[in-house]
Amino acid sequence: MSQDYTPQELMAVFIARDLRDGEVLRVGVAMPVVEAAVRLAHVMHGPNMELIFLGTRMNVAHLHSLPMPAFGWDRRVVRWAESYSDTGHRFDRVKDWHRHVFFIGGVQVDRFGNSNLIGIGPDYRRLRFRGPGPVGTATLTTHVGRYYIVLNSHTPRTLVECCDYVSAFGWGTGGADARQQLGLPGGGPKYCVTPLCVMDFAEDDKHMRLHALHPGVSQADVQDRTGFDLTTPEPVSTTPPPTAEELHVLRTRVDLAGLLSRSTKGE
Amino acid sequence: MEPTERQQRIFDETDAAAWVESGMTIAIGSPPPMALVRQLIRRGFSDLTVIDSGLSLDLLIAAGCVRKVVSYYAGGGFGVAVAPSFRRAVEQGEIEVWECEEGILATGLQAAAQSLPFLPWRGGVGTSLPQINPDLKIMADPISGETLIAVPPVKPDVTLLHAAAADPYGNVQHLGGPGWLDLFLHRAADRTIVQVERIIANEDTRANPWATTIPSADAVVRSPYGAHPYYSRGFYVQDQEHLQAYVKAANAAARDNRSDDLARYLATYCREPATHADYLERVGIKRLLSLYEY
Repeated sequence: MSQDYTPQELMAVFIARDLRDGEVLRVGVAMPVVEAAVRLAHVMHGPNMELIFLGTRMNVAHLHSLPMPAFGWDRRVVRWAESYSDTGHRFDRVKDWHRHVFFIGGVQVDRFGNSNLIGIGPDYRRLRFRGPGPVGTATLTTHVGRYYIVLNSHTPRTLVECCDYVSAFGWGTGGADARQQLGLPGGGPKYCVTPLCVMDFAEDDKHMRLHALHPGVSQADVQDRTGFDLTTPEPVSTTPPPTAEELHVLRTRVDLAGLLSRSTKGE
Repeated sequence: MEPTERQQRIFDETDAAAWVESGMTIAIGSPPPMALVRQLIRRGFSDLTVIDSGLSLDLLIAAGCVRKVVSYYAGGGFGVAVAPSFRRAVEQGEIEVWECEEGILATGLQAAAQSLPFLPWRGGVGTSLPQINPDLKIMADPISGETLIAVPPVKPDVTLLHAAAADPYGNVQHLGGPGWLDLFLHRAADRTIVQVERIIANEDTRANPWATTIPSADAVVRSPYGAHPYYSRGFYVQDQEHLQAYVKAANAAARDNRSDDLARYLATYCREPATHADYLERVGIKRLLSLYEY
């Protein structure tokens, strides 16, 4: 391999660069790429960011290294919190969430950025695969200013024409006013980031569109592993690789356990 | 006869578990009050409707206690995306799911606490949730005509919580904040049982009434290390090895039909120990003392 970084490290760097200082970043469970991305942005260019991991709100830019919160809400995470909110407080100021940024995964994601954490199979009472459940994604994606869909794998099983069940509304059946028509105040999904590429949503119909290919990945690779016809602009750009400094900070201050650097291609 | 003095609300875990009956709706807080959860399993309750997320839910399902689940999240962790026993039981059609989402569940609990027939919520509009959970109704708000979801009351018969301390009269204090849904689960429930790391004097409560997070819980259970293998803020961290061993055993049973390890886990840690103290002896003092916070 000629590259000296993994797709997961590239994903984290891409996301980190898209986050702006002062933003409030809400991160859920089991998303190591996102956890690394927000920490990287925090130490690289975001000293005024607020990181909210499951209700523990922290600003830890002063720390040399930022531990990954793999231990729920015990003291190892909560000790860094400036405030801690249970669900009650968490839903108290939904009106301000247009300033917040959220990240979401999915068992399925469809061509309009709707996502499914419920399960797969035509009969809801006998699912072929039962997913973990919607967590708080329906509420968060309704209200936050923008969100990122971040997937660990890029396959036709994950990126589908139409989700079997929708647990978070992206752009519905398409159209720039799809969210407005339902009265959903949030800005919707901005990017879908996978180990192969970055996709965005076309301005007019909000169909998922190839935005940038990761270095070494071809357009045919992506289309072969996508379960719907991807809109493709000409020419297609390439995801800018991480700088030496970004990789150094990522590995020595953020991802100390090597969760991202040890990852394989993840297809 | 009228009582002549204020009655204490301290029960041991075996007496407190007797407040539960098969078929009830039981809510579990976070961290899960595992000493009480293990008693439910030991007593062999069945057909419970359980409001919970995570591995305490999975354990109750593995033990055969559950008919219906009210959960917004049943993740596994430790390399498993979905709680193994939950996943298998749902895929086999053995248990029913009242499909919801964090905001929707909090809204339903709030409706129960306020004796309202429903409360509106926006999160979930446009999703499949109202189709797969017909109790959630799409409504037009009567003020401005906006599309919202009407969430009916979600009402536990008994809520089980873990906290740092309580006095003998059920005044509860959490350290480092109450658990995620704890206050909602308490306010919505008919009765709340709180297991605590330690009992404090009523004078300690009165010295700082602002520290009381739950006033007048119905029962208080003395349970040092009672959240093990989970954490208790101010006391100990999560026992990763123990949880990992459980997930491995549950996964082997759910995916490969190798249920020996899971059966052994349930016997060793849930069914055989008569009391919480017996459970702690099985875990061992060395392991417990290794879970220090600093």
